[in-house]
Amino acid sequence: MLEPILNALPPMIRELIASLPQQVLDDLEEIRVREKRPLEVMYRGVYRYVSVDGGLTEDVLSAYLPTREDCRILLDMLTNHSVYTLEEELKRGYITVRGGHRVGLCGKAILEDGSVRQLRDINSFNIRIAREVIGAAAELLPRLVEPGSFRISNTLIISPPQQGKTTLIRDLARLISTGGWNREGPPAPAYKVGIVDERSEIAGAIKGVPSFSVGPRTDVLDGCPKAEGMMMMIRGMSPDVVIVDEIGRPEDAVAIQEALRCGIRVIATAHGRHFEDIRNRPMMRGLIRHAVFSRYVVLGRTYGIGRVYRIYDESGKLADSLIVRGDGRDA
Amino acid sequence: MPIPSLCGATAAMLKVVGAILVLCAGALIGLHMSHQYASRPRQIRQLIQALQRLETEISYGATPLAEAFHSIARQAAGPVAVLLGAAAEELQSESADTRGALERSAERCWGRTALRPAEREIWLHLGSILGVSDRDDQIRHLRLAMSQLKSEEDAAQEDQRRYASMWRSLGLLGGALVAILLY
Repeated sequence: MLEPILNALPPMIRELIASLPQQVLDDLEEIRVREKRPLEVMYRGVYRYVSVDGGLTEDVLSAYLPTREDCRILLDMLTNHSVYTLEEELKRGYITVRGGHRVGLCGKAILEDGSVRQLRDINSFNIRIAREVIGAAAELLPRLVEPGSFRISNTLIISPPQQGKTTLIRDLARLISTGGWNREGPPAPAYKVGIVDERSEIAGAIKGVPSFSVGPRTDVLDGCPKAEGMMMMIRGMSPDVVIVDEIGRPEDAVAIQEALRCGIRVIATAHGRHFEDIRNRPMMRGLIRHAVFSRYVVLGRTYGIGRVYRIYDESGKLADSLIVRGDGRDA
Repeated sequence: MPIPSLCGATAAMLKVVGAILVLCAGALIGLHMSHQYASRPRQIRQLIQALQRLETEISYGATPLAEAFHSIARQAAGPVAVLLGAAAEELQSESADTRGALERSAERCWGRTALRPAEREIWLHLGSILGVSDRDDQIRHLRLAMSQLKSEEDAAQEDQRRYASMWRSLGLLGGALVAILLY
């Protein structure tokens, strides 16, 4: 899984990262490369610098400092020697590379008429390792269907960043689109799933083709703004379930309500630590008042213990909670 | 050293054969040099044409560099096509940056071309600018490289006019001179 990323790293950094202990590599979440500043990795929620001899350290002074040449090679490799093919992505500040990993970039922005035209002198990279955890949503999905049927409830998943909500909805998409996920009774039907993947995170699509398994009956609209994408899905692809990541703008609410009017079920995610965070947002308040979502799932994870799902009903009452044991990464 | 066992006639024969061989060698050296002078402007021209096509691939097609090199290699001919093909191959191999890829392609294939160090410099410079910026910038750099190649081509044509026929006769005459001196 790390292979495409390791191959894209400049020789010196590749050597340092590859020499990290295997447990760290297994749980690696981010590699941060900043020109002339310490090389940093994040695993299991812990940030550490990588020292010149290939170990982990908290000491800034013994950390490896990526050179200008390192950054040049890294950008060259990440963009497949062709920055000019990624102009749109660079404007947004990140690119998706082979394997569905996302790389955030910082440099000098070149403006044209007040909006970003180009990013140049790129010197900061945040390589976010995407992990596909097949079965991550297996325990949760049975609680998101309407009792006595296999109809998917309109669900809002609430979680702070880096808690695996993208991993979760990716697996939800796979399960819903594959069907037959229930353990007893007649197998659940396979639904048509539409993913509006504005930031290429859910499906990790390269040239429009998903890098991750998102199910056999899943259509992915890659790089499309959510509200517009949802409308396009509704008009053109007749999905049974639409999945979107990180809703927050007023037009998203309009698109969700439009989808519901067409009888389409929606699974969305939103940033937040608690259910209250969501309740206080004007855009969400409307959705909650109209009881648009019938399930709210709040994600939390504790390293070493497992993952906690708190499930609220449409009125905002805690209805259920679910603890999935594990190391906190693979739910 | 005299070869005592040979009679005079055989020795004379050998001498004539040797002289002819020396003459031929001289003429061939001359032809080769003159061929080099004639090939260089042609190959520079082919390289310019290839870069023009690369410009189109980048500006209109936004084709990734490795693919773009493959396609311009297919359209080129002779040693220049080999060079471009080698660059495409190097670009496709994992863990190779653009500069390294063009350097290695030059190491592998430069000997087969009639191109000089000046062109090699331009080629290697392309390695550090190709693919690292937006389209407009790429086009500016490619145009600059093409105009540099154009001036090299002019110089190469001048050289060809001056030296190509000279080398042809010089080779033959030089061969003759050596043959006479040895005779």
